[in-house]
Parts: sequence; C-alpha cells; structure tokens
Amino acid sequence: MPRNSHSVNHRLTILKNVALFALAIIAVRLFFIQIIEHNSWVAKANEQHTLLKTITAKRGEIYMMDKGEPVAVVLNQATYQIVIDPTVTKKEDIQKVLDEYAKNYQVANVDEVYNQEGLRYAVMAKNIPRETAEKIAESEIPAVWLKKNNQRVYPEGELASGLLGFVNADGIGQYGVEGSLNKALSGQDGLIKTTADVNNVALSIGKDNVKIPAEDGTNLVLSIDRGLEKGAENLAVDAINNTAATNASVLIMNPNTGQVLTMANLPNYNPADYAKVTDASAYNNYTTDVPYEPASICKNFAFSAAINEGKMTPETTYFNKHYEEVDDWKIWNAEQRSSLYGTLTMRDALYWSLNTGSIYALKLLGDDPNSINQQGRERLYDYYHNKFRLGRATGIELIEAEGYIEDPNEGWGRDSTYANMTFGQNLQITMVQTATAFSAVINGGTWRTPSVVAGQYKDGSLTSATSIENDKVEDKILSDETSAMMREMLINNRGYKARAGIDREGYDVGGKSGTAQVVRNGAYDDTFAELIGSYIGFVAPSGEMPQYVIMTKMWGEGQSIGSGDAMDLFDSISNFLIDYYKIKPGGV
Amino acid sequence: MATGLIIIYAIGPMRANVLNNTYGTDYDPNYFFIGQLRSVVLSLVFFFAAFKWIPYKYLKKYAKPIMITALVLSALLWLLSLTGSSLAKCELGECRWFNLGGLSFQPAEFLKLALVIYLADFLARKKEEGKLGDLREFWLPLLVVCGLSLFLVVIAQGDLGTGVTLIAIIFGMLLMSGIPAKQYLIMLALVLVVAVGAVATSSHRMQRVDAWLATLTGGESSDSTYHIDNAMLAIGTGGFFGVGIGNSIQATGYLPESINDSIFAILGETFGFVGLFLILVVFTAILLRLLNVAGHTADNSDRLTVVGVFSWFLAGVVVNIMAMTGLVPVTGITLPLISYGGTSMIFIAFAIGLSLQISCYTSREVIKNENISSRGRLRGSHYASRRRSS
Repeated sequence: MPRNSHSVNHRLTILKNVALFALAIIAVRLFFIQIIEHNSWVAKANEQHTLLKTITAKRGEIYMMDKGEPVAVVLNQATYQIVIDPTVTKKEDIQKVLDEYAKNYQVANVDEVYNQEGLRYAVMAKNIPRETAEKIAESEIPAVWLKKNNQRVYPEGELASGLLGFVNADGIGQYGVEGSLNKALSGQDGLIKTTADVNNVALSIGKDNVKIPAEDGTNLVLSIDRGLEKGAENLAVDAINNTAATNASVLIMNPNTGQVLTMANLPNYNPADYAKVTDASAYNNYTTDVPYEPASICKNFAFSAAINEGKMTPETTYFNKHYEEVDDWKIWNAEQRSSLYGTLTMRDALYWSLNTGSIYALKLLGDDPNSINQQGRERLYDYYHNKFRLGRATGIELIEAEGYIEDPNEGWGRDSTYANMTFGQNLQITMVQTATAFSAVINGGTWRTPSVVAGQYKDGSLTSATSIENDKVEDKILSDETSAMMREMLINNRGYKARAGIDREGYDVGGKSGTAQVVRNGAYDDTFAELIGSYIGFVAPSGEMPQYVIMTKMWGEGQSIGSGDAMDLFDSISNFLIDYYKIKPGGV
Repeated sequence: MATGLIIIYAIGPMRANVLNNTYGTDYDPNYFFIGQLRSVVLSLVFFFAAFKWIPYKYLKKYAKPIMITALVLSALLWLLSLTGSSLAKCELGECRWFNLGGLSFQPAEFLKLALVIYLADFLARKKEEGKLGDLREFWLPLLVVCGLSLFLVVIAQGDLGTGVTLIAIIFGMLLMSGIPAKQYLIMLALVLVVAVGAVATSSHRMQRVDAWLATLTGGESSDSTYHIDNAMLAIGTGGFFGVGIGNSIQATGYLPESINDSIFAILGETFGFVGLFLILVVFTAILLRLLNVAGHTADNSDRLTVVGVFSWFLAGVVVNIMAMTGLVPVTGITLPLISYGGTSMIFIAFAIGLSLQISCYTSREVIKNENISSRGRLRGSHYASRRRSS
C-alpha cells in the first residue's frame, strides 16, 4: 500500500519536525542563557550566594582590684533568641516548647505570628540563658533557630555604676568606662565573605572567600579597689540618708601614683537595667564629667603658690577686718566671729577658712601687701592653670569636662575675679582636677596624671600593658618645703577632730572644707538656699607621707548642704580606710 | 543514566544536608546516590527484560487488562489517599505514590506505559475494522479511557506533569493512527480549550503562568518566580564549560527539586553549554532512533507503540527543559533517564526496551522482505549501548 506507506512517512516526518523544532528552540535558548547572558547570571549568582558576615569581637570584661588580685565586675553572658519560620515550624510544636521552657522569655504571641500570612521569620523569645537554649535545641523542631546575643552582666550589681557606665542595645558603651574606653573594650570585628548555601551556612566551594578574624576587646583592670569602693559607697548612702543631701560623690586616690582607688557617685543605678533610669543625669560620673565651683578647697592652691614663691610662710601675719574691698566690691568672710578681728597668722586664716587670708596671699604674690595687681594675677594663673592644671583635662582615661579659669588680663573686674578665685569662686573645675592638684600639694609637690586603669587581664593575670593612651605627666611644681608646710597646716585644720577622738591617735589626718554657693542666673545666690558641701583631705600614719587622698562632695537640689556633712563623710571614710587597709599607726 | 548517577552522587549530600537542616530529617549523605543507583540497576534490568525476555507480541494481547489494572491502581491510590491510609504516600499535599514498606511506587508511570500499549492495540484494531473516527465505536471508548486516565492523574493526584505527558502520548499516537486530519485538529483545539480553561480556573496554576510570564518578560522577581529564576541562574552560571562536578552552589538549597525536576539546571551549572548540548544530542539521537524504528515497522500496532514511547520521551525532555529555561510554565515533570525518581526511570527504560525489541523484529522482517540492510539492526545495538552509557 504505497499510499499508506507514504502517509506513514509523512506523519513520521511531522513528528520528527516537531521534535527537532522543539530541540532546536531549546538549544538556541541554552546558548542565549549560558553564553550571551552568562555574565549577568554570574553577577546575580554572586549576589545571591555571597554571605557577608561580621564576626563580632568579644567585648572586653572589666575588673577591679581586690587584695592585689583582679576581680571581674562586668562580664559577658551569652543569651539566646528563639527565631522561627512559621511556614515550616508547626504551631503546636513551638507553642509546646515556649510553654515548657521559655514562658518568661516569650516576646511574641504564637497566634498573632501564625495569623500573619507569608511570614517567614519571627522572634518568639529573647534573653534565654544557655542551659535553657540547649534544652530547646534538643527538642529538634524544624526551622527553629537559636540566635546568640551577648549581654553584659554585673556580679556586683549597682556597684560603681557611674564609673562603669553601661552598654546599650546596639552594643555600644555609654558613659563611664564603657563609654570612654568603648574602642578598647569593643575590639575589632572580623569579617567573613564567603559563598553560602541557602541557609547562609558557609561553603568551601567558592574561590574568593575572605576571612578576617575578630580581635577581641581588651579586658580592662581598673585601679579601683573593690572593697574600698563598696565601703565608701555604703558610707555615702548612709550620709545621704542622714542628711538633706540627695547626691554624694567620693574620690579616693593615691597621691604618689595618681591611681584612683574609689570613684563613687551615689545614688547608683542598675546598669543591667539602665533603660529604667528616667533622668539621664543619674548616669553622670560627677567626679570627672561635671565641673563645679570648689570653693574654699582652692585656698590650698593659693596658699601653696604664695609659699612656693617664697612670699609667705604659715607664720606670716595679716590684719583681718572680716572683709576686703576689691573693685569697689566688699568680699566678706563667712566666719564673722569678733575674736578673729585683728592680726592673724596665715595658718589661722586657713584654719578658719578666711577669704581675707587667701586674698592676702594673692596680694603677696604681686609683691604688694595692700592691693591686687597684674603680677599677682598672672602668678596665680600660672599656678592654677599651668602648674595645678585646673580648668584643664587631667588626662585620666575617662570622659572629662574641662571647666574654665579666667584669663588674668582680660575681662571686666579682673581683681575681684582673681580675689574670688583664691577661695574657689569664679572658676569651674572638676573633682578629679581638684584631687589631683591637692595630691601635688601634699605629696612633696609633684603633679601626676591620674589614672583609673591598672592594666589588662590577659591569660589569667594582670599585665600592665594596655592599648589605652594615657600620657603620664610627672611635674614637680612645688618644693618639698612648701608641701611640708601645707601638710602641717592641713593637719592643724583638724586639730579639734583629733582632740575629739574622731581622728585616731597615731595617724596624721589633714583636710580642708569647701562650701560652694550655687550660681543662679549668672549671679551668686546670696540667700544660701542651695550649697554644695565638699571636703578634701589625706590620711597617713603619723610622721609618714600620705598614701591616700579622700575627697567627698554632697549636694541636693534646693538643699543647703554645708561642708560639715561632707566632712562627716570624709571622717567616716578615712577611718574605714584605716581599718580596711589595716594601716598601722605611726611613731607616736 | 550515568550522567544522572554522577550528578546525584555530587549533589545528593547537599540535598540531604538541606533537607536535614530545614526539615530536621536525618538523611544519610549518600542516601540519594544509593537510591539513584538502585533505580539505575532496576531500570537496566527492566530495560533488558523488555528488550530481550518479554515478547511484546504476548504483552499486547493483554493490552486491555493492563490498562484496566493501571486505572484500578490509580483509582485505588486515590481512594486510599481519601481515607488517609498510610499506604498512600503524599508529598506537599499531593498523593502520588504507594508506600510499600520503604519502597514507593508511582502508578501514574505505569499508567503511561499501559496507555501506550492499550492505545496501540486499540487504534490498530479500529483501523483494521475501519472504525477510525467513528463516534460511537471509536471516540466514545477513547474519550472514556483517556478522560478517566487524565482525571485520575491530573485531578486526583494533582500531577499536571504526567497529564501533559499523557496528552502528548495520546496526540502523538492519534496523529500516527491515521484519523482524519479535520477530526484530529478539532480534538487538539478542544483539548487546548479545556487546558486553558483548567489553568485559568485554578489560582495556583494561574500563579505559575504569571510567574512564567514575569520571567519571560524580565519582570519583578517574587516568591512564585523563585523556582524558574533559580533554575535559569544555575544554567546561566554554568557558562560554556560549567563549574565542574561538585561545585554547584545552586544545589546547596537555592534551587528547589534540585535532584528531580530541576536536575537539568544543575547539569547546566555543572557541565555548562557543552555538557547540555551533548545531552541534547543524545536525547535527539534516541528520539530519531525511535522514529527510525517506527518507520521500519510493518505492524501498525507496533509502530503506534514506538510512536507512543517517542511522544512520552519527547514530552519529558521538551517540557522539562523548556520549564527550566523559562520557555513554558513549570509543570513538575521529570527529565527522562536522568532525574532522581525510581518509578519514572524504570518505566521509561522498560518502554524503550520494548521499542528496541520491536526494532529487532523489524530488522528481521526487513531483511527477510525487502533486504535493505542490516544497518538498522547494527545501529539498534549501537544505540542501545550508547543509551546505557548516557
């Protein structure tokens, strides 16, 4: 049947052509995709397959010293988040796991999550501790991830919170050591650039994989003595409870090294729960952040300057008439008792904290006992600003406010300004500046950069090397004799304390008070409705060089806090310190 | 088949890893390779069984019972799945497999073979009886059998891919049967209308078409274009020579169904244009060889059988590859002889085996009757060996 055979062949040809046509289209299409569009597909593939992942550096931990050993006060703890893919994870499964292990950590409602269509990523719980996270991992539910987070933990609770600061939700240190030394603590994050599978797991297939390891942050050891800090904070809390003051700051340092042993700002806050703080001023480290008028504590610096210039000794006398008139202003003494009217020694002037005495020291600096002059001002400025480094950052490893000191030759009423500066008004300085300058006054005359970092904790021990830049300055600014005279007068200041048995026998305790008026609307508030009380002093076994400078400051808004409250706090801390370090009394 | 084995050896562990990570399963890294090896061995056994040991002459006597068995099996699976029996194995909501204690069996594959054998017998018989194109004697039984098959596959099992293959088999064989061209074209148009209607009325099928159109026109990527996007990405990154065995990144979870329906894309990534072109050449050779066999077959029902196998194979190759290259919407169809999946490989191997058996008769008869050449036979064995190595 030729016709039939012809028709068979015809149909087979149709089938053949259909097949060849389809295959030809495919071949052309493949050529198009694989050869012509190749580069654009490779680019798209790289975009999809390349995983850029930061390797988070471990944040450095913070230590304090305790009996010569570093102890941790800020640690890291891994916590976990439960993340699910609702399209894969079964609702009953995740509900069961949450109920069983993570009820207290749950942050999302299961029903709400599953009601959202197309949702493929949901954080179900946060801050889950490791052991619980491990149990959840063991339940092996599909498409449940445990995402690791690092959290700061504070074994000492609120201790020294103003000094330590906190780490915010973005992992950035704020305030205190965490804020000022954030860079050293953070370390350097590493980077992984790699080809990854669909679950973002790195593959070994790719060619251009990059891995830069993370450099972990420095474990900082502070020079702070944990026990002393704790004791001073407890005493400061007592002082706040027993007075009208709402705030207290305590700074204890070694005057011979500049090392800070205590830096307390009360009340503390809980750095683990920093967000609960309603007033950001609670975060302040008042010892370094906030300048204030130190008041009569400055007399130490004016007297030191005049003695060191050979213009006076503690025995030098002047006539006290309760006030001085400068630039047509009458500057009064706070102490007005009539028995003090007349000729007094400079030692008496310091004892009674007479403004007329410190103004007389300024006159002596100008070589004119009768008036303040340019030379006097310039010399005082040289001591305050250049030698004692007041109104300048000290270089401590913390964020510092500078404060200011008036120029000796500019502005209106220079003489009265400088007269005020001798007893600590018309200038703004910080506690750490004051205590560092005071250390130079009593340590034999050397100004040293204060420091709060003792070193780093590495491989289980304290090493002194750190990456923290702190150029140590050692500047001999006063003679040994000047310093000795100042110590003698400061001990004399507390004679009545010794007689009252508050300062124990066998110890040299010296100090000076300061009661600062508050400047309101550019003028001193002469109603004395609000006063800041402060006290600075030292303690040593009798006849020995002081090892400890203690400064206290107490205040409260609208509260008149006299230096008496601050002095009482000093008294209790100095006695606590003797007990704490078991300092033996000196040669009687 | 060897290509499939190699590629599954290379990407099987990745697939296992992805499944284990995503669904918490516990597949051994070699699970898929061993599964594929088993399928290949079984396929070779079935291929030789069909080629040498089971005389097709006897087999086609049982065309009706075979067809009925196939329909009953598919219907049984449907009933089992409706009752929620554990004997029905379901994936992604579609129940397409019998669960036979560790082994699974897909009755739709058997149905393809049964349909080829049945239609060959039916069409040849009707031609002899001169009833081709007769409404009551021809179209009615044909529509019942084909309609039932399509219903069981497309509606009950939700398997559009097999549905497309069945339609290809039916129309390939109808074309060959010699029914009037007018009737053929009307039927073709009718099926197209029904198909378009079925797609347009089903939202998830429409979604696939939308996705396909978006890919074709370079539209926005979305969740629904993900499969095609990633298939084309795999093929595109392969370039001229491919990234090499074991270096496929798309197989690490980006490309869905990387070892079954999407294996062509992974082949493209691995072996590049050169590799895919060679695979196409092999496929083309097999297809042309099948047509050659058909052309040299004197017996009408044998010729129809071979054309049925040809259509089956062609549909698998063309629809699968076109879907992977964004030329047609994704339907979920395996790549013959290469994709992971036991039943489909075994049955297509069996079907090709039958065709080669037919080619043997052919050659003998041709030699006897027309004395043309022994080339056909030689080429037949040549292709047979080539196929095993492809």
